[in-house]
Amino acid sequence: MRRVLALLLLALLHATTGATAAAGIRIVDDRGVAVKLAQPPQRIVSLLPSLTETVCALDACDRLVGVDRWSNWPPPVRALPRLGGLDDVQVEALLRLRPDLVLAAVSHRTLARLEALGVRVVALEAERHADVQRVFTTVAALLGEPARGEQAWARVQQQIAQAAARVPAALHGATVYFEVASTPHAAGADSFIGQTLAALGLRNIVPPAMGPFPQLNPEFVVRARPELLVAVAREARRLAQRPGWAALPALREGRVCAVAEGPAWELLVRPGPRLGEAALALADCLAALPAPPPTTARAPLPPTASPR
Amino acid sequence: MSPPGAPTEARAGPGAAAHAPAQPRDARRARCLALLAALGGAALVLTALGLAAGSAGLSWSALQQDLADGHAAALIGQIRAPRTLGALLVGALLGLAGAIAQGVFRNPLADPFLLGSAAGASLAVVAVIAASALAGQAIAPAAAAWAERLGLVGAAYVGALGGVALTLLLARGAHQTLRLLLAGVVVGVLLGAIAELLTLLSPDALRARQAFQLGSTALLGWPALALLALGLALALPLALRSARVLDALTLGEDSAASLGLNLARWRLALVALLALCTALAVAQAGLVAFVGLVAPHLVRRLAPSAHGTLLAASALAGGVLLLAADVLARSIVAPQELPVGVVTAVLGGGYLLWLLGRGGVR
Amino acid sequence: MSPGHAPELEASDLHAGYAAQRVLHGVSARFGRGWSAIVGANGAGKTTLLRALAGLLAPAAGQVRLGGVALAALTARERGQRIAWLAQLGGPGGELGGELTVRETVALGRLPQLGPFGSPGPADDAAVAAAMQACGCADRAERPLLELSGGERQRALLARALATGAPVLLLDEPTTHLDPSHQVALVRLLRRLAATHTVVTVMHDLPLALAADRVLLLDAGGLRADAPAADPALHAAIAACFGGAVRIGWRDGCARVEPAL
Repeated sequence: MRRVLALLLLALLHATTGATAAAGIRIVDDRGVAVKLAQPPQRIVSLLPSLTETVCALDACDRLVGVDRWSNWPPPVRALPRLGGLDDVQVEALLRLRPDLVLAAVSHRTLARLEALGVRVVALEAERHADVQRVFTTVAALLGEPARGEQAWARVQQQIAQAAARVPAALHGATVYFEVASTPHAAGADSFIGQTLAALGLRNIVPPAMGPFPQLNPEFVVRARPELLVAVAREARRLAQRPGWAALPALREGRVCAVAEGPAWELLVRPGPRLGEAALALADCLAALPAPPPTTARAPLPPTASPR
Repeated sequence: MSPPGAPTEARAGPGAAAHAPAQPRDARRARCLALLAALGGAALVLTALGLAAGSAGLSWSALQQDLADGHAAALIGQIRAPRTLGALLVGALLGLAGAIAQGVFRNPLADPFLLGSAAGASLAVVAVIAASALAGQAIAPAAAAWAERLGLVGAAYVGALGGVALTLLLARGAHQTLRLLLAGVVVGVLLGAIAELLTLLSPDALRARQAFQLGSTALLGWPALALLALGLALALPLALRSARVLDALTLGEDSAASLGLNLARWRLALVALLALCTALAVAQAGLVAFVGLVAPHLVRRLAPSAHGTLLAASALAGGVLLLAADVLARSIVAPQELPVGVVTAVLGGGYLLWLLGRGGVR
Repeated sequence: MSPGHAPELEASDLHAGYAAQRVLHGVSARFGRGWSAIVGANGAGKTTLLRALAGLLAPAAGQVRLGGVALAALTARERGQRIAWLAQLGGPGGELGGELTVRETVALGRLPQLGPFGSPGPADDAAVAAAMQACGCADRAERPLLELSGGERQRALLARALATGAPVLLLDEPTTHLDPSHQVALVRLLRRLAATHTVVTVMHDLPLALAADRVLLLDAGGLRADAPAADPALHAAIAACFGGAVRIGWRDGCARVEPAL
């Protein structure tokens, strides 16, 4: 409902003010808080890596004056002052930067405090592709450049389509298990990672009903016998040692995408403008895997979940 | 529970005195046996349930289907069986350690994590993950490779023992109980702070720490089971040998010392035993809450007895508790899983609350 | 060591205390068969002296000898076989956290003889039964200690001390927190035991303390008086020690202690 309201408002703004930056920006963030700006912000602080990347993807990198501890892309951002993590923002350092806008995650712990100190905060969080598109639109509107938001999303779509083309035909419809943590936590079909995998023509063993990042019983994975596994390199090396996993054909035949810790993994797990790059990286990894044995007809692929 | 018609002191000879109070003694022994039998029965039932609780939840039809399909060997044999038995053994080790801790410190609220074992294990886990995350950047790849080979299990084991060793060092031995407890608190805070700092370097480490602190039996395999069984087979007899010393400690430290016991040495030995049990359990299953605290309580409430029985029964009760929590954790939201530490906290915490409500924490 | 043979416990020029605080200054005394009661104001060092005699506290200077042998030269077990300690009920040294029955508690008294791993034999069972009999708690043998009243519990704990077979019994405030009937019963018991043991008690209850054979008065860490209980000079010293708050008389072989209200 909030999303619809935000989109309606944006559409109204767009219609009345035209494509160029205009006075009087009003958006509703993901907390349902309406934020008004007289003019586009010139000093932006971002407290979430995906939001940092979004701002830079919309050509407003020079407006960033401070970022959180984990923001590290694009490279120029690393020179900016670091202001802490999810629950330990250095409020004084932040205030000293005199930002006119702070972008943060909805679950950030110090939002109320910052707002009480007079800082303008817009909280945005993306769990699915549709959310990512919405974040682009919202941030673009905030920057007074709505067209850039659409362009950024179009780029992402293009890259995803390219990636889908690179996936070997033999893997179309293959089942995949994407592990985000060794508990094990998986990326379900309902997460942005799951939607990317679906766009690449793969089927997630974790159905949408289980939520975006469920903690699984390892037996579930063994039962499902996924044809492809994706995990961080450190865990990928030890998957075969897990009780019962050594029998998985995917492990025996080496159809595991071991993603190196650090930048390569961060690329895959950030729901931001590099979603398309992530898809390409995944596709390249999958293309490099040994071909699966010819299977009897796989079940027809469900329609992809990415919005156009 | 007063003995019926006991003869007066004047008339009673030693023979009569042995016969007259037989009933209360038998009653006490009967309660102990009944508790052990009940716990043993519960363990059997829960083991069966554990073998049936899979990613389809607790379902007999699914179990029959699996047996018919011939998947039994992999699913039940390799995944569910070691996990179920592992939960029993981990719980037993924690229950035993809890009973020892409560005996050594003469405090019904003592738990096995008191002396820095939990903080040490946590720190070790974080250090290993942060090391492999920082490989090539801040630390040498060789060090990272070594850390990875040690693995999380080995690291947690070494860390738990290291935490206790640090506590003993800080307290300069086990000469004074209070100093030992204070040292344990200091070590816990210190190691916890260092772990926090390390998690700043690596978000993976943060997530790993959270998972470790919630506990899980998800990845217990047969090798882990063998280690746990060996540990328990060694620890239980050793603990039972010290039962009389623990009984003597209930009289107070001065009285125990006057009975010819070298308290400092015994305390050191008991702390070492407690540390070994805790380290083994925690390395395999993480920091499962409340099991070590609640198991001895349950036993004392249902069948109060001297430490000989209390230690063995606490081990059994701990195993049953953790297995029950594990079966619940696997079945309630199948095929998802709740962290088992959450379930033990709810069960154990709920029990303690109920105890407080009834006004009896002895 | 048979109960009839009571070796002499001797403190010579004891200086003892805790951490920075020196409590006892040069106390010397000999304890043989019979009942000696140590009295004095709070903080005079009574418990410190008793603990030093028991070997629970290492003296800063001076020595404690048992039968001519220095206590420090004995192992913990040998000490346990010769000296039995009864802690103050409810005090820091005497909590009861366990679920032991009276019999199990008294059986713990055999630890100095058996060691922590020994299994009790018929001689040990006999000693336990005899101790329970002597203290009058045999009929409550199977009841948990925590269920008994203070007086009954104290008797069970005294039986535990007796069961060690030690000829020297050191009791810290054995009558505190007991109601008068139990106090009197315990005192009578101590008198009986004094025939065969060396009994030393710390008490701040003057009428009960003066039922002993001999009384030692401690004041500010020094021994002010050491005399048989009936000695009038002792009574005067005690009254002076408490600043005239009590008057002590002796009538019909018993002390009469009156508070000077």
